[in-house]
Amino acid sequence: MDIFNSLWESIRSIILESGLASLTWENYVMVCISFVLLFLAIKKQYEPLLLLPIAFGMLLVNVFPDIMASPTTEMLTEAQVLQRNLDPSSYTTTALNGVTYYNVTENGGLLYYLYQGVHLGIFPPLIFLGIGAMTDFGPLIANPKSFILGAAAQVGIFITFIGATLLGFAPNEAGSIAIIGGADGPTAIFVTSLLAPYLLGPIAVAAYSYMALVPIIQPPIMKLLTTKKERSIVMKQLRPVSKVEKILFPIIVVVLISLLLPDAAPLVGMLMLGNLFRESGVVSRISNTAQNELMNIVTIFLGVTVGATATGTVFLSAKTLGIILLGLIAFCMGTACGVLFGKIMCAATHGKVNPLIGSAGVSAVPMAARISQKVGQQENPANFLLMHAMGPNVAGVIGSAVAAGVLLSQIG
Amino acid sequence: MGNMEFALNLLLAGVVIVFFVLILLIIIIMIYGKIVQTVQNRSKNKNTEKAVKKAEEPNTFTAVAAPKAAPAADGTVPGEVVAVIAAAVCSLYGDKPVRIKSVKRSRGSGSAWRNAGLFENTKPF
Repeated sequence: MDIFNSLWESIRSIILESGLASLTWENYVMVCISFVLLFLAIKKQYEPLLLLPIAFGMLLVNVFPDIMASPTTEMLTEAQVLQRNLDPSSYTTTALNGVTYYNVTENGGLLYYLYQGVHLGIFPPLIFLGIGAMTDFGPLIANPKSFILGAAAQVGIFITFIGATLLGFAPNEAGSIAIIGGADGPTAIFVTSLLAPYLLGPIAVAAYSYMALVPIIQPPIMKLLTTKKERSIVMKQLRPVSKVEKILFPIIVVVLISLLLPDAAPLVGMLMLGNLFRESGVVSRISNTAQNELMNIVTIFLGVTVGATATGTVFLSAKTLGIILLGLIAFCMGTACGVLFGKIMCAATHGKVNPLIGSAGVSAVPMAARISQKVGQQENPANFLLMHAMGPNVAGVIGSAVAAGVLLSQIG
Repeated sequence: MGNMEFALNLLLAGVVIVFFVLILLIIIIMIYGKIVQTVQNRSKNKNTEKAVKKAEEPNTFTAVAAPKAAPAADGTVPGEVVAVIAAAVCSLYGDKPVRIKSVKRSRGSGSAWRNAGLFENTKPF
């Protein structure tokens, strides 16, 4: 009979210590959400490189919350240390009221340590290094006026900041929400990790979701704001850009932006370093590593740890709904402002600029440029806007980093 | 109200700063683009002038290449082949003056090992 009792006790203690007993209903809802995101990443292939690790991080932290637990230090008496079969000589001691206590430390969860790369603002600039090594700024150098469209698309960020403030968000939260309008995941994570780290989960999920939904969100706005005639405009071929111009570009940009906006220097600096690796042509091994191995490794860590911040208690709140709604507004505003400035440039150049390339001013490289090409070809199948749209698209990456610098300098 | 005032200030400051920085970049890129293009055009023009001058000089490659036509005359190597070989040699040496004394057809195909080596080295082309 004793055997049955001890067996029952063992089973009972295992059940009580298991996640089945300790998880809350919020955790289970988040597990369901992670399943949906995994489905979208695998079946629908919506930004799978990021959505898949984010969704899996979300799943992991909600079935085993201690994987994100921070390290702890317990003060134990010598008797308690010996009771736990620990070696007292391994720990530092603190004397309180004549009693010696041992500082017994317990390590944090795996994802807690990996998350430090996000928390300390290390991963987003490293992602920018890879993006820089993959980006050809040639179309932007050939047509520098594209920078205007890259700047225009950032106006949505600052308009959304007002909207978020009206809804009662504190300035640091409003800044983190507004940066979603830049449609640049690493920038959104960088700004949020410095301004409102506790909102990292909802903001990262919202930013990447909208980036994945660019083909659905942008075309209706582009069509609404342009006429058929404007969408059919064929642009003049871009001039070829020399190697010297391409090499000088990252150096000039980093010097100028770092001097004017030091807060944007980590992002812009790494972006331009990656680009110089690419364009110099003398460090192809480093350039390849930045584009492939480093980028992939950082993407895994960034995705999983950002997903792991989306715990049930943080994610399932009215605030998250507000963030998701405001993020969508920011994204739509950015697209609309880009197209509207495209229209102004079209009028100023007497119809030489197709306003559709303005929507590519929101970063989302190269998806936003592809959408400009696609919508343009719907009106005129012989129209090739892709290279023209790549100019504002890469200008948007620089523009969103500058906007991030403004937010950090004003709010941070 | 304080937050709203701050938000409006940020809107204005943000838009102005972002546009200012990016317009400054436009101006700088346009200027250095023009400078680089002008310098490159000048060096291109200089190179073209040099090439024209060289062509006019008596000791140029064209003049040197003329006697090369001689081997073609013996009927073993066609004139077109001599011209192609001369052009290849010229491109290999760049601006240096080149004199090709003779072009001879190689004797037979040689050993199998030699052919294998030749094939291995010329396969990528």
